[in-house]
Amino acid sequence: MKGLALPVAAAALLALGALVALEVLRPTPALSPAEQAQQIAALLRCPDCQALSVAESHTAAAGAIREQIGELLAQGRNADEIKQHFVDRYGEWILLAPSAAFAWWLPPLVVATALAILTAWLLAGRRARAGTVESKPGLPAADRQRIRDEIERLDA
Amino acid sequence: MRLPPLRWVVLPILLVPLAWLLFTGLGRDPREIPSPLVGKPLPVLAGATLTGETFSSTSLLGTPFIVNAWASWCIPACVDEHPVLMDAASRYAGRLAVLGVLYQDTPDDARRFLVRYGDGGWPHLLDASGRLAVELGVTGPPETFFVDAEGIVIAKQIGPLTLETMAEYLADLGLSE
Repeated sequence: MKGLALPVAAAALLALGALVALEVLRPTPALSPAEQAQQIAALLRCPDCQALSVAESHTAAAGAIREQIGELLAQGRNADEIKQHFVDRYGEWILLAPSAAFAWWLPPLVVATALAILTAWLLAGRRARAGTVESKPGLPAADRQRIRDEIERLDA
Repeated sequence: MRLPPLRWVVLPILLVPLAWLLFTGLGRDPREIPSPLVGKPLPVLAGATLTGETFSSTSLLGTPFIVNAWASWCIPACVDEHPVLMDAASRYAGRLAVLGVLYQDTPDDARRFLVRYGDGGWPHLLDASGRLAVELGVTGPPETFFVDAEGIVIAKQIGPLTLETMAEYLADLGLSE
């Protein structure tokens, strides 16, 4: 039973790897222009409403942006160029997700740093406490000798 | 050795940035959006006007001008701002041009507004499709762009102009008394 564990684990890992590879390599069906437009619209903030994407909103401004996305796609522009087209007019604000890479890395980096600092802090605290226990000074030798003498006298 | 000295390093490292983030974050106005157009050429704004002519912002080049996105339903901000625009247009007649862009409004409502609050005589581009508003990155009226004689956007104001803010922006365009 023990000898089987390794081959079974290896086979399971291989199977998992194959599944991932299949999923990654599977050709994605080409999106229709309407689907592409919908995808881009979902990334843009509706200018005249709060916390809605252009794809979800029914306002006039969202409609105008959807229409322009369609036109830009028809001109052969790709998703990044179209997003930039609106960033040039509204600023980064129009993007629902920030495009700057550091915006994505900063939060996990901050959490990791905080965890590291916290761990160091706790370890330092524990070491310090352990140190104080060990170095706790005992009774002076004279007192110790006196206690020993007293006990001896009681026993006697 | 009662307190590990690390504590006195760690606490400020964690707390100072947090306090700074909260302090600056809370002080920000979520509606204030800097315009990427400032410092760049104004996009060409062209189309039919309220009076049925065709007009292009390129014809304004050579003198400084103001582009004002407004709507008759924008009350009270656009109503409050209207006399400020009228005042600037008459005070600097010949040295300053004004162009209105109607934002999500009907021509009839816009005409009624001008009859009621006064018509400064400057052209107003219709924008039924919302295309001009997108070109300008307008999020809600009133929004005003200050453009120099070369067509470069010098400043953008979101919200109504007052006589004081108008005077400051016009001074940036080289217009003062």
